[in-house]
Formats: sequence, C-alpha cells, structure tokens
Amino acid sequence: MIFGQNTLLSRTMHDIRYDEVHDEFLVTNPFAQAIVVFRGGADGNEKPLRVIQGPNTQLQRPDRLDVDPIHNEILVPGEDRILVYPRTANGDVAPIRVLRGPDTKLNTSTLAVDPVNNLIITSTGRGMQIFNRTDQGNVKPRAEIVGPNTGIVRINQLQVYSPKGWIIAAMPGGNGVEPEGIFVGVWSIRDNGNVAPRWKIAGPSSGMKKPRGVVLDVKHQELIVADMRLNSVLTYYFPEIF
Amino acid sequence: MPKTFALLKKHVLIGIFAAVMGAAVGTVAILNIDPASLTSAARDAQRRPTGSAQLVAVDRLPAVDGQFCEWLPASASFSLAAQSPSAADSDTSSQELDRAPLRTIRDTYPTYSAVAVDLETNEVYLQDENLFGYKVFNRLDNTPPNAAFTEPKRMVAGLNTEMEFNCALYVDQNTGDVYSVNNDTVNTMVVFPRNAEGNIKPMRELHTPHGTYGIAADEVNQELFLTVQHDNAVVVYNKLAEGDADPIRLLQGDNTHLEDPHGIAVDTRNNWIFVTNHGSVHDVRPDPEAASERANWPLDRDRAVPGSGRSEPPSISVYGRTAVGDAAPLRVIEGPRTQLNWPAALAVDMARDELYVANDADHSVLVFRTTDRGDAAPARIIRGPQTGLKNPTGLFLDTKNGELWVSSMGNHRATVYALDANGNVAPKRTIRSAPQDKLALAIGNPGAVSYDPRREEILVPN
Repeated sequence: MIFGQNTLLSRTMHDIRYDEVHDEFLVTNPFAQAIVVFRGGADGNEKPLRVIQGPNTQLQRPDRLDVDPIHNEILVPGEDRILVYPRTANGDVAPIRVLRGPDTKLNTSTLAVDPVNNLIITSTGRGMQIFNRTDQGNVKPRAEIVGPNTGIVRINQLQVYSPKGWIIAAMPGGNGVEPEGIFVGVWSIRDNGNVAPRWKIAGPSSGMKKPRGVVLDVKHQELIVADMRLNSVLTYYFPEIF
Repeated sequence: MPKTFALLKKHVLIGIFAAVMGAAVGTVAILNIDPASLTSAARDAQRRPTGSAQLVAVDRLPAVDGQFCEWLPASASFSLAAQSPSAADSDTSSQELDRAPLRTIRDTYPTYSAVAVDLETNEVYLQDENLFGYKVFNRLDNTPPNAAFTEPKRMVAGLNTEMEFNCALYVDQNTGDVYSVNNDTVNTMVVFPRNAEGNIKPMRELHTPHGTYGIAADEVNQELFLTVQHDNAVVVYNKLAEGDADPIRLLQGDNTHLEDPHGIAVDTRNNWIFVTNHGSVHDVRPDPEAASERANWPLDRDRAVPGSGRSEPPSISVYGRTAVGDAAPLRVIEGPRTQLNWPAALAVDMARDELYVANDADHSVLVFRTTDRGDAAPARIIRGPQTGLKNPTGLFLDTKNGELWVSSMGNHRATVYALDANGNVAPKRTIRSAPQDKLALAIGNPGAVSYDPRREEILVPN
C-alpha cells in the first residue's frame, strides 16, 4: 500500500496507469494539479520518481490520464483540452501538444491512448470521440460514438486493446447511489455514430453496482473492474475480445 | 488346385491386409471387415500388441493462429482455425454478457471512519465507510480477544439512508440526533433521530458543496461547520439548516491556508476553529462573466486557476470562530517536528486547552496545546503496536468519563484510552467488528484500476 505525506497523493485519485515497458505507474492528484509517477514496486510512504506540476503545465483539474510507453508521452484530459507531456517530464513542464478549440467539441475528463493504431479515445459525457494520436490545436475528431444506442450516460475509465482495436469503457450510470443501466462496454476503434457496444458486461450475475475502473489482463484473458459502490475489484473471464 | 488351398490363400491375403492397416479391432471396424470372417492368424495379427504406438491414419489439421490448444468460445466454428472477432470485422451486433466474476476482492467487514458517543444513552456510534451506514454499541462494550467480533445493538444502513462514503459523524448530546457527512459522491449531509434503525430515510437532509469531509457543531451558537476538501473551504450553516439552505459563512481564499482540509473542531470558549490540512492546494478565481455566485458557496474546481497547484506540508490552521472570506489564520501548526502525516479528525478539550489529532498515515494520535504555533512538537503521542491504532481517522473526547475514543479505518475497530494517555499504551477497551488479526483491504471509492503483469498485481487508487 502506498500512502502518506511523502507520496504527494491525495485521498481522491481517479486514475492510475501502469507503464509495463518502463515499470512505472502514474497517478493524478487533482487537488494539487499534479501528475505523480512512481516506480513499479513502490510501497509505503515512498516519494514519487517524478512530479509534473506548476504554472507552465496548464493542469487545471487533472482527474485522469494515460501513458503511451511507445512514444513516451503522458496524456491528460482537462475538460475542453487534452494536454500531452513527455513521459519523463518532471517539474514545471509545459505540454508539448495541446488539443483544444471549438471544433474539437471536447468536454472530457477521461481518455485512453492507442499507440499502435495512433489514436486517442476520449469521452464527451454522453459519448466518445476519437482523434489521431498526434492531433493538436483546433481539429475535429475523426469519429464520434454517441447516441441512444450507445447506452452511455457518462464514462469513467477507458482502455484500448490495440491488437484487436477494441475500446473498453466503464459506464457507471447517472446520479444516485445505485443507478440503473450500468455496464462495461466494448466498442471498435472503427465505430462512428450511434453504435451499440459490441459487448456489454452487465446484469445481475455480474454483480456490478457502479463500475468506474477497467483494465485488461491480456495473459489470462481477463477483464478487471473496480466497482465504486461495492468498494471492490471484480475479475471476469472475457476471452471474446482477445 | 485343391479347394482347401484356394480358400487358405484368400484368407491369408485378407489377414496380411488387415495386419498392415492396424492391429486393433476398431481398425477392422473402420475398414468394414467382419472380424468373424478372418482366420485366427489374421485376427491375431490385428490385435498383436507391438509395445509402441502405431500409425493407423493420417488426416492433416488446419493451420492455427496462436496456441494450438487455444480456447475458443462456443460460438466459434468447429474448425480450430476460427479467429476471435476483431474491430476490422464488419459484424456490429451487440451482445450482453451477464456473467459472474471469476474472483472478487472485497472487504465484507465495516471500516470505521468516525466515532461519536451519546453520553445520555451511553452508546457509541461508529461510522462505517465501507458498507455505508453506522453501527451502535454500548459504551462499555469490550470485544474479548478470542471473540470474532462484537455484535452492534442496532445499525442504520441501506439505500434509503443516502449514505455513501460517509466520513464524519456528529451526535447531538441534547437530542441524540445523528449527523452523517458524505464525502465526494453524494452532496448531502443526512440526519437521523437517536433510535433510528435499519434502512430508513433521514429525518433531515442538507445539500452541501461537493466533497465535504469534517463536521463540528457549535452548540452555543447553534452553528454547523463543514470542511470542503475539494474546494479548500469551510462552510458554516445554521445547525438545523436543511434542503437548499445557503451557508451563513464561507471561508475560502489564497490567504486562508486551507489546503485539502479534513478534520475540524470548534473551541467555543476561545472562539477558535481548528482545521487539519493534508497539503494539496490550488487557487480559484470567480468567473467575471458568470451569473452571480450563490451566497457563501465555495468556488469549485471549475474555477481553479490552471497551473496553480502546489503540494504543501501538512498542517493545522487556526481561525477565529466567525472568520469569513479570504481570512488568514490566526496561527498555523506546521513543520517536521509536528509529525503530522495525513491528519484527519480533530477534537478540542476546552478545559485542558488540548487538541487531539487522528494522524492517519502515522498510525498515531497527536496531542497539541491549543495555543501551539509553527513547528511545534506534540505534547503527547499515542503510538505503537500496543495501542491497536491502524490508520486512525476518527476521534471523540468523552470529557464526562475522561476517555478518548479513536476509530481506525485500518483494522475494523474503535479503541478507548484515558484522556492523558501517552506512548505505546494498550487501550482500555476495544470494540472490534472483524477477527482479531484482520486488516482492512483499504479499498475505498475506487475510481480506477490498473494491472501490473510483471508482478501480477492489481493497482487500485482510493
């Protein structure tokens, strides 16, 4: 367990990403407007390896992030913008790219990067947008997955499985302590428009109440879900998408 | 040619053919040869064990992409060459999969974020932030070491209670009303009557800013103080406020030294309020183009100034009881000698001028003097393996009985000490709600998850 003053963590952290190539994991501290990077085996009251924080970072309310270990970049959504930093950035570092502008139609708090297909997938509150990985400035998304068939009310954590081109999204539903219609959904990176998820893990057998986090264990063909209402981690066998 | 020779020759040929093709009766069956028609020699040839495997047929398998024994779903074709779907496929049909998880990581025991005692009824209230509710015990309950847990005498929990990530608790000593503060998923404080039980609706609700944490009541002036973690603020309400009532005072601003505020305590004798801070902070500014802001409502993270975030040391900030706006603290307790480490709940002993702090990440309780300032060392520290403290976040001072109550989120228990306890002291009593050596899983409001395949570890932020 990593906790304590030296960690520079807060009691509220809405994302975590493991970089398998460099054996590091990254966490957001939204209250301190910081991105905190730890070594893979960090434990206890351990200091981070690097911290991105300061006036030049443009970080406002960094709730979530993703790391691209192939192109060595960290991507942080921030409502009307996406900020991109070098993976090894430390201190008061300006972003190397900013995706922002009215044509982007960004209204996002979460994203996932696909370093193989060179895409960024982000949520818009009621759907998802897909950009080219290196997009910057005021550019339109190349695709939008939105509409009643999607079943999306809001999305928390996003993941991408690049070998098959799947987007995996945790959909915790609307307001309320146990909202209806929650699910973990899988879309294609080639989807566009009012498209239902290819798979939707949901229902009474699933046990989920409010899924907010998702990640894949490729080796064991499993989907791991963090459920906020249950304060639990659920692991499903999900070979269909591998 | 004699008939006998012709007949023998025919059967010898059949026997040789059968022996070449296989020795098993099954092979004969595949070849559609009636074993009864064979000579005994021919039959012997088929069934003769050779001591090693024999090739009996060849049927080439199709090429397989991936592991030979790769599992395929039942919907796959019989051919092992069937591929799992990919995003490139044109099939866009949607499937709902209602399948049970293989494994579940979940703590089924309560974890206690706060504690309060009703001195009228001699009952202890323990705030359960894991299972969302609170449990009530007798003040003198003491779980024997060999007992699995102590059964509560009643509990309040369920969807109707609107409790979720309930992190602070206040019990009105006059009426017995129970005030429960929700943190960052439900923007409502709920109030229950003294003998509430079960899955019941609150008798009163107050819609609060997002991310409230600590609560303190000023019974002299009938006011309620709440810390707002997300906005670095303190809001003050009339004690009986409900619904959409506005706060009567707001403390927020660059000069306040509110930095991820958690616990709060009111000293009505000196007219001070004390706040613990974890140190994460950013600036906020009103939007000049926005419609007028709500009265005494904190500016939220939408108004955060980009790039203004800082990670400051933990601290205790002290204000006048009626401080408003961007008021600087009267003094600040901060520095390495304080040993503050994610300080949570606060309680003030007005008779002894002492300030108790639940020091979460240090597994300790620190006791300061209420007049301390700067890099002040605590006057007393309760810490050590005998204390039973494990991530303590809740405190209650029972000055009537001379006792200090502490709730620990790390080990499913509340412990009781003398008010002047110091050092590695065993508690006078323990109320435990899980087996003796059980530690809490510490999963709380998991908003994300990651996986480390090197170590085969699941990473969960809370």
